[in-house]
Amino acid sequence: MNRFPLAGITVADFTWIGAGSYTTKILADFGADVIKIESAERLDTLRDAKPFQGGVRGVNRSGYFADRNSSKRSVTLNMKTEEGRALARRLIERSDVVANNFTPGTMEKFGLGHEAVRAFKPDAIYIGMSMHGQVGPESRYLGYGLTMGAVTGLHQLCGRPELDPAGTGTNFPDHVPNPAHAAFAILAALRHRRRTGQGQFIDVAQIEPTIALLGPAVMDYTANGHVAGRVGNQHIAGAPHGVYPSRGEDRWIAISASSEVAWQALLHVLGDPALEQDVRFAGMAGRWEHRAALDEALARSTVLHDALELAQRLQQRGVAAGPVQDAADVLQRDPQLQAREHWVYLDHPEMGRTVYNGLPFKMSRTPGFPHRPAPLLGQHTDEVLKEKLELAAAEIVALRAQGALQ
Amino acid sequence: MTFDDMQSPALPPGSPAPGPLEGIRVLDLTQGSEQYCGKLFAQLGAEVLLVEPTAGCANRREGPFLGDRAHREHSLAFAYFNQGKRGIALDLDQAQGQEVFRALVRESDLVIEAERPGRMQARGLAVQALLREQPALVTTSITPFGQNGPYAQYEGGDLIGLAFGGLLSLGGYPGLAPTAPYGNQALLAAAQFAAVASMIAILEVEGQSGARQGQHVDVSVQESVAMALENAVQFVELENTVRKRNGGEQRQAGTGVFPCQDGMVYLMAGGVASNKFWNTTTDWLVEAGAKGAEQLREPRWLDSAFLQTAGAKRIFAAIFLPYAAGMTKAQLYAEGQRRRIPICPVSTTADLLVNRQLVFRQFFEQTAHPFSGRTLTVPGAPFRMEASPWRLGRPAPQLGEHTGEVLSGLGYDHQRQAVLLREGVIA
Repeated sequence: MNRFPLAGITVADFTWIGAGSYTTKILADFGADVIKIESAERLDTLRDAKPFQGGVRGVNRSGYFADRNSSKRSVTLNMKTEEGRALARRLIERSDVVANNFTPGTMEKFGLGHEAVRAFKPDAIYIGMSMHGQVGPESRYLGYGLTMGAVTGLHQLCGRPELDPAGTGTNFPDHVPNPAHAAFAILAALRHRRRTGQGQFIDVAQIEPTIALLGPAVMDYTANGHVAGRVGNQHIAGAPHGVYPSRGEDRWIAISASSEVAWQALLHVLGDPALEQDVRFAGMAGRWEHRAALDEALARSTVLHDALELAQRLQQRGVAAGPVQDAADVLQRDPQLQAREHWVYLDHPEMGRTVYNGLPFKMSRTPGFPHRPAPLLGQHTDEVLKEKLELAAAEIVALRAQGALQ
Repeated sequence: MTFDDMQSPALPPGSPAPGPLEGIRVLDLTQGSEQYCGKLFAQLGAEVLLVEPTAGCANRREGPFLGDRAHREHSLAFAYFNQGKRGIALDLDQAQGQEVFRALVRESDLVIEAERPGRMQARGLAVQALLREQPALVTTSITPFGQNGPYAQYEGGDLIGLAFGGLLSLGGYPGLAPTAPYGNQALLAAAQFAAVASMIAILEVEGQSGARQGQHVDVSVQESVAMALENAVQFVELENTVRKRNGGEQRQAGTGVFPCQDGMVYLMAGGVASNKFWNTTTDWLVEAGAKGAEQLREPRWLDSAFLQTAGAKRIFAAIFLPYAAGMTKAQLYAEGQRRRIPICPVSTTADLLVNRQLVFRQFFEQTAHPFSGRTLTVPGAPFRMEASPWRLGRPAPQLGEHTGEVLSGLGYDHQRQAVLLREGVIA
């Protein structure tokens, strides 16, 4: 039997919105039983976030939510009721990992802070992913991926020097740095528990992984006193290296051809005498010195070409180039992502057949992938209570009547 | 059988707080920001050996450089991404270098490599060949497009990965060329996912009973970038809308970058999917006496369609900017957050070092830089593990620093090492 590699691990998942849900998606797609504990009253904001299937709003229709919650089960518990909190506690007792990304104090309010959980479940791996960490003068400050991008320094570093910072255009920390670091820490903690029997608390301050990725820029300040600024696309000490216009409306091509061999190949493909004959661009040093002029001259040439076609011709000659693909290109037209089956289509009870990100890695022997669509709100409440907590049907009816399962 | 019954190597009783990945032996062949993967392993206690070409890793030639000195031992990027590792210099294109590498593989659990697909095979070091040396080996390959598919042999790099992966299209200003995120974020995304994937594979191998079997983990930079597209792909699929870049503008009225007395702040008066912070922001501006703030109470401001209009953005800016101009980043941050409004400074690297919260958490650490004799201040633990702590570990290796001790450990005596050095197999 080809078991998913994380089969056998249960996650009591209190995460919501972006980074937390993307963390547990990784675990779920690789076979962990991730039980998302939700509240109909305090809805996961992403359930109410665009885009919606067919443009029609509904708690089970958000594509943003769906992508971050593949392969999970959903249980609704009313944490304002004593019964709801007791059920959450019993689910934790039967779990290996407890995850949340609330501001510090929220889980404590439910009686499910890490100290409380440790008391009744000492081997739990308990991860808190608040924005600023569990303690400290700003630990209760609130924010989202966008503000996190700003407070970490990433936002300020992205864009053109002469304009306001542009950032990444997304809530970047939510999608890569925080979920990847958190998932890595959880997996490491699972190994530690296997070796020692010990659970532990993991504190992810969501601003810290992104700062960790900016290490060289931070050190340029601490060691050299340079406060790094925006450099547009000129990220390497070589030219040409940048983004150039191509044929069509708002279409662009990225080209990096700073070595002599790549430059000659680029000239060959473009066949533009103006570039070939310009003595300023004859050597690597000259191209670097005159990079602004080089970029302008190149742009006059690239704009005559289709981005994908030119990129393919350049690549055939060994030049690093790529069309600036938009979301429609990557989803509908990219032959590489199609060959790799990166996009996974699953049948969702309300949304129908819709797309999910597969994880960006393939394993030769124990693959993982989104294997169940995102859960409807509370879709698995009865199933999980029966299976995990061995509740009888009548008990579930009674709990529902008490309002504990909303 | 539960997950924990599958045994990872047991820890001797009474050991001091161990790194959670202690006992895992890693060979890291990567030469750029992909090294972040091995760094994550090293700082949780794995023994990571960086295997460099004899001329040194590519990122030894990348800035920023310590003291602005362009020297292979002065690259701050190299120093940062290899903290905690030991290093040898070995030519894998020579038969004798390959022989040394196979000996290393026999003592390793994980190989991380970022060569073009087929290159390791040409060296006789394909995954299958390595598995013959060490059947339980996990090999993680980080490549621009993955091991197969029509683009597998294409040239990559950070900018190209961002372009093919779609994130570049979301960065930058309308009407101008898209701009990439700073700092090799495409390569780093792949490095981070490679660490997650490698960890899943190692847990799986360690969980096997009987003769253990490794496997190949194939990480694509392009796909790692696609993970960062937020909801853009779903917008195409569900609402037939292609998201565009919108840098340098308010996303909607009240959300975006605003200048203040000593820099800029990021304000999100609109929240994510609701306008729950609008009223609190309005209260703030009214109480602070910002001119014209009263009009923000008009019902139209609770309509998100109105907030998207240029007119709404203009009115909000005309009210907020004069107030912000008299306040520092830190003052706006403290006052806005006191009112539970998502606002923060647009930090520079200098601001990070005095960020109260990071200082409180003692986030930054210090490490020696033996070549220069300097001490470097670096970002520390990206997460805190209470029972099995992250540790900064040794400074990044100088080129070939551990070649001798590693080869001696493999049984190469001094004479054989001298021959290898003379032949350029090691450095």
